[in-house]
Parts: sequence; C-alpha cells; structure tokens
Amino acid sequence: MLLEDNTDWTSQSNEDIYTVADPLEKFNRGVFYFNDKLYFWVMKPVAQGYKFILQPPARTGIKNFFYNVTAPIRIVNNILQGKGLSAEAEWARFLYNTTIGVLGFGNPAGKIAELNPPEEDMGQTLAGYGLGDGFYLVWPVLGPSTLRDSVGMVGDRFLNPVGFVERWQDSLALSATNEINNLSFRIGDYESLKNAALDPYESFRNAYIQLRQSKIRQ
Amino acid sequence: MTHKRWITALFAVFFAIGQAAASAGAPTPMQTVKERIDQIIAVLNDPQYHAPAKKEVQRDKIWEISKSMFDFTEISRRTVGPKWNSFTDAEKSRFTDVFAQFLGNTYIDKMQGEYHNEQVEYLQEIVKEPQALVRTQLKRENTALPLDYRMRQTQDGWKIYDILVENGVSIVQNYRVQFQSILQKETPAQLIARLEVKLKEQGSQLGQ
Repeated sequence: MLLEDNTDWTSQSNEDIYTVADPLEKFNRGVFYFNDKLYFWVMKPVAQGYKFILQPPARTGIKNFFYNVTAPIRIVNNILQGKGLSAEAEWARFLYNTTIGVLGFGNPAGKIAELNPPEEDMGQTLAGYGLGDGFYLVWPVLGPSTLRDSVGMVGDRFLNPVGFVERWQDSLALSATNEINNLSFRIGDYESLKNAALDPYESFRNAYIQLRQSKIRQ
Repeated sequence: MTHKRWITALFAVFFAIGQAAASAGAPTPMQTVKERIDQIIAVLNDPQYHAPAKKEVQRDKIWEISKSMFDFTEISRRTVGPKWNSFTDAEKSRFTDVFAQFLGNTYIDKMQGEYHNEQVEYLQEIVKEPQALVRTQLKRENTALPLDYRMRQTQDGWKIYDILVENGVSIVQNYRVQFQSILQKETPAQLIARLEVKLKEQGSQLGQ
C-alpha cells in the first residue's frame, strides 16, 4: 500500500510529481470555463431545488439505488483486474442490498466492511494492463478525465444497466437524475475547492490525476 | 512480607513511573494530532460561539489551536519546490506568513460552515523517525473521508507538513503545481502579491 511505502512518503525530492501531458490545454480550459458556468447557472440551482423538494432519506435511497444498479461495472472490473475476493464482495453486496435492502434503495451492506471493497472502473483496469493516461481531457458536463479514462468510461457505459434502458431519452433522464441526486449531497464542495486554489484549472487537473493514481494503487 | 512481594511491588512502581514519564515526555504523532483535533471539535461544538456574531471569535480560537500543529516553513518550502532557493529571506518569511493565513482562512471557513458532529476515527500511526504518518477517517452518516497527516519531528515536537485526502491526494502537491506554473512566468514577489489579493478577498467575504 502506498502510505506504508517508505520511498514514497518520506521522499524529500521535489521532482517526482506524476503529471499527464495536456496538449489540448486551450480547449480544456475553455470547457473548464463552460462547466464552471454550467455549474453555477444550471446544475447548482437545479440540485438546490431538488434538495429542497426531496427529503434526505429519499435522496439517500436514490443514491443507494444507482450505486447498487451499477454493481456490474465494479464486478466485471474486479474480475478483469484479478481481484477475485473483491468481485465476490461486490456480488454479495449486490445480492444483499437488492433483497434485504429492497431493490437497492436501502444499504444494509454499508455496515459490513468486508462488503465494501474499493470501487473499480475500466479506467483503472486499463491502467492495470499498463495503459498510460495518454493526455488530460475535460469533457463538457462530465468534467476532468484523460484519454485512457474516457475509453474506460465508454466501456463502463456498456456495463451500466442504465445505458440499456429502451428509449435513449429515458436512459439520459435516469443518468441526469443520478448526477443531480449525487450533486445534492455535495453542493458547496466545488466552490470550496475553487476558492482554495490560485489557479483553479491547474488545481483541479492535479487533484484529478492524484485521485486516479490513488485509486489505481488500491 | 516476603522478598518476592517486595520485588514485585518495586517493579510495579518503576514500571508505572517509566510509563508515565514516557507518555508525559513525548507525545506520539497520533497523540499530538488527536489532542489538537479534540480541542478544535470542542470549540466547534461550543454553543457560546454559535451566534453569527461570534463566528470571528471562534475562527481566531480555532486558528490559535491549529497553528501549532503545522510546520508552515516546511509546508512553504515544499509547496514552492525547487524555486524556493530563488526567494530572498524576506520573501521566504513573508510567503510563509501569507500562505499560512491563506490556508487557515480557507480550511477553518470550511470547518465552520460544514461541521455537523462528524466523528474522527484514528486508524493508524506509522513512525519512521524523523517522519510519521497518522491515518484518520472523518465519519459522516454514510460516508467516510480518509484524511492522513504527514508529520515530521521538530524541536517543538511533531508537526504536520502535508495532508493527504482520499488515500493519497496531497494538498502540498496540489499547491506545488499551481505555484510552479505561476513562478514560470512571474517573480516570487508577484506570487506573494497574488496570495495577498486572495487574503483580501477572503477578508471581505468574512466581513459579510
């Protein structure tokens, strides 16, 4: 594990920062600006209204439901990464929450540490196979990513039951509900991170890259 | 009384003295962090500060407590990175000062705004003198935020020089990439000026 790795955390050197190329920086900064406005003008007011209407238990239920339904993404990626125990844990968690947790709206498995392995996705799987990040990319609405993680995102969409809903409009509406519901739990986080930065673009890029590296290590 | 009993009693006394001396003499990294965080949580929970007018008093109080946990010179040195040597001594101390205040404002403001009885769990302490890592978790109802403190031994005990969020996102590294990109185009004085502008903005927001 990273933090027990002596060479990493006691390192005094200034040069060992992992970075990802950003050849599209001009474009990315434009999308970053667009997403920023989108957040303040659309996403945040919508999430606030949503939060006002729906009580916390309902929002938690919806969050649990979407997390449970996307179990195939985590199970398959655990298998692809050779993490058999975690795959079994995700499978057990899915069965437990779908039945005892009533279609996944409840999360009784949340209390059992063994049933909550780190979340795996296809970007991490591809990284495990030795694929590098490629370059940094900011997507409209979806936010920071890299070339590899974008490919992973497309792959995961094929493992996501929400992607298989008959009409694409319904599928999109479900995805949007999930996004807004998740956002309703962390309104204000974006502002805090942005205010803590001198150069928000650089700060978010680095935070994304560090976060992904940390997830890949787990 | 038999000799055996006397010897046992003596051992017990010496052992107790030894224990007490060890724990009183030098708190471990985890004890250092825990003591301060407990004090901060007590201030956050203290009803006397809950009136909006008392926010600033509360902030100062938290700042007083948290200041001594950190090694701001080390934090500044690490966030600026290799360019630190091109700072004059006056710039170094000014930068350290302004950056410390900026971090204090940013994170105390967040604590004051968002603290709702979260529990801190102290998971693990890894010591490799002169450095250490204290692993903790901030528990909310359904989620846990991993927060790890990188510390080093100084003359005044253990001090924090970096915080890792989510199992490895270093705050110091995040500022380092920002400062490096600014220092590629600007002088140390200009970087300090930027921080001072940020401080003023924070000040005017707090005044509201």
